[in-house]
Amino acid sequence: MFARLLFESFRRQRRRKAFALLAIALGMALSTAMISVATDIGDKVTRELRALNTNLVLTPMEAGLDVTIGANTFKPAGEEKAFIPESDLPRLKGIFWGNNIVGFAPFLFAQQIFFRPAGPVTARLIGTYFDQPYGKANEKTGVRSVNSFWHVEGEWPADAGFNGSFGALAGVSLAHKTGLRPGDTLEVGDGKAKLRITGILTTGGVEDDAIVAPLHMVQQVLGKPGAVDRVAVSARTKPEDAFARRDPNSMSPEMHDRWYCSPYANSIAFQIHEALPAVQVEQVRQVEQNQGKVLSRISGLMLLLTIAALLATALAVSAVMAGTVIERRQEVGLMKSLGAGNGLVATLFLTEAGLLAIIGGGAGFAGGVFLARYIGQSVFNSPIVVAPVVLAVVIFAALMVAFAGSTGAVRKAMRFDPAVVLRGDA
Amino acid sequence: MNRRALFMRLLVKAAWVRRDRAATALLSIVVVATMATVGLTVYADLEAKLNREFRSFGANLVFTTPSAQIDKKAADEILAQLSANAAADESYRLAPMAYAIAVGPRESRVVIAGTVLGELQELNSFWDSQPLANANGNALLGAKAAAQLSPTGAPFTISFEGKTFEVRPSAIFKSGSEDDSRIFLELTGFTALTSLRADTVLIHAQASPQVIHAKIDRLKAAFPGAEVKPVRAVTETQATVLGKTRAVVLAASLIVVVLIVLCMVATLTGSVLERRKDFAVMKALGASNSAVNLLFAGEASVVATAGGLTGFILGSAIAWWIGQANFGSAILPRPLLLAPVMLGSIALALVACSAPLRLLRGIQPAVILRGE
Repeated sequence: MFARLLFESFRRQRRRKAFALLAIALGMALSTAMISVATDIGDKVTRELRALNTNLVLTPMEAGLDVTIGANTFKPAGEEKAFIPESDLPRLKGIFWGNNIVGFAPFLFAQQIFFRPAGPVTARLIGTYFDQPYGKANEKTGVRSVNSFWHVEGEWPADAGFNGSFGALAGVSLAHKTGLRPGDTLEVGDGKAKLRITGILTTGGVEDDAIVAPLHMVQQVLGKPGAVDRVAVSARTKPEDAFARRDPNSMSPEMHDRWYCSPYANSIAFQIHEALPAVQVEQVRQVEQNQGKVLSRISGLMLLLTIAALLATALAVSAVMAGTVIERRQEVGLMKSLGAGNGLVATLFLTEAGLLAIIGGGAGFAGGVFLARYIGQSVFNSPIVVAPVVLAVVIFAALMVAFAGSTGAVRKAMRFDPAVVLRGDA
Repeated sequence: MNRRALFMRLLVKAAWVRRDRAATALLSIVVVATMATVGLTVYADLEAKLNREFRSFGANLVFTTPSAQIDKKAADEILAQLSANAAADESYRLAPMAYAIAVGPRESRVVIAGTVLGELQELNSFWDSQPLANANGNALLGAKAAAQLSPTGAPFTISFEGKTFEVRPSAIFKSGSEDDSRIFLELTGFTALTSLRADTVLIHAQASPQVIHAKIDRLKAAFPGAEVKPVRAVTETQATVLGKTRAVVLAASLIVVVLIVLCMVATLTGSVLERRKDFAVMKALGASNSAVNLLFAGEASVVATAGGLTGFILGSAIAWWIGQANFGSAILPRPLLLAPVMLGSIALALVACSAPLRLLRGIQPAVILRGE
């Protein structure tokens, strides 16, 4: 009998049920999308920023003070200088958090005289990877993927040369001062290599006064094969918190393990130092310190917006549920006058609400997955993936909201005298 | 009773007798208006709020002049170009810089920089500074420079072309850049030692990327020969974060508002359909289509006006609280949003009740009253 009542209620009141179902589904789609966006936005923005900027810097251990002002290095030529071996760099991907190493760019610096038909130019020569394959898997890395704030007018050069001629970028300030233009050719290192300027580089940093060329060419010109002065690493890190700021040397072994297994900038730095012992690893505080702050603001904002949206949804859906019950007062009156107890009536209505919540919640979840994907795709060019646990959360929320909305209305409907309700005077 | 009085009475009675129903409709409108107000208010203020967070990224503009003559007066002129009300404007910070190479203990060479130390520390608030207990400290010491020259932070002497200077570090800092290898001195002491004046100014402009570019053009026009460059590592980060966040907030708010609107239209439409008996009785008593439409539209407008206003107030309060809780400074209400929110609410309510009325008009009142 109960099952039949339930079934008939759905069959006969299709429009009413459809409205309630629609409301629940819309509300839950919205909740799914907002929860997913709010939980994923920190990660998404971090990815964007990691392609823009590097956050760890590797320098050789023994290096003395950096005597550099702008693009000029003032170090006596005879002074012994340490380098990082280029062949060690693929080991960066082998550390515990290797997958969080988005990429890296090695740099080699030297003051050079460049010869061209219009007269010689003295400037800093910077060797780096533009988009160089490395390691066994031939993954590509370089400034194009980890320093995407570098702006090139013209074309990016290739990492490999052709017949002793290599592509290179001229810094914008240098180009301005010397009249260098894309297409110009320069000779460097007593004619050891020819450079063809393919583009003008703007960074707002020292590169603006320099010529940037493929690392292997610069090594060859300087006669220092495999040498690297400094490596900029882009690693996805967890924002620094109170635990990350503790001194790892004073931690208990369990705490040290926990710290080691968290992708904090300093634990990744520690692991890089383990893999490359002759290297000193510094966090670029400007990036590392502030990014966490900005990200926490953004995540916080999305969280609060999500809470507001969820509250609004809850109100909206419970209003709909209350509405559908209020309209059925006569039915309550009829059931009661035929001898149904309050418990039975309440059970019937709540079961209906529960069914609506489960169906609506499921449909809404599917819609929300789609919406989250769409937002991710249109803003970040990568879909926002919805965690399966959100389904459980959403169904639970739908049940709670549907019950909360119906309960009050059912109680109110039962308070009336059946006769009054049936006469239509209530 | 004239028509107008009857109309008013019907309006009031409809809301009063069926309080539940009126409350549901009101609640629907309030929720929509609230979320729309929250979304729009937050979105409108987001840029200013996030730009403030970029304060701690340090300089985003570098000003260099070949004439190397930046003194207090020139610095004030730069500031005046950046901001009309420079004295009270907290949005712009600048630190003049000059660099030279001095000889430290054990004949080591070290880069020294002259600046206004207080300003530089404000500008580079991301530095991890360890204060030292030196009396009359006159220098900030980079961590690498400290490791080589004075690991304990004790005073030491540097020389430049025969002149000497006693460095008394007041703090050792870590930045993760080449600044770690440098010693920063007050500009007056630096100039006395090296006879060099500042030729570079580091500037932080707390503004959106577009405004920063406008300021660059302005500075270039005002100081011919000077070079003004954005620090792309900072400005591009800011542009990316701002752009992405604004896009997400906009997309999320849009989705929230659109879905809630749909949800509400369903509720309102449902509640009008439930009143088909009212509709039929009115028609049976001889009301014209337009009179019935007017009545339903009047009801919807009254509820929507009340709901829109309440929603605007509630939404502004929520936005204010979000600003306070997340950014530490309130997001102020935008009175300009009031009109769109109210009009939107009324339009929404009218749309929601017009569809079911059109549907009912096609049915004979008798059919409805018989309950078929």
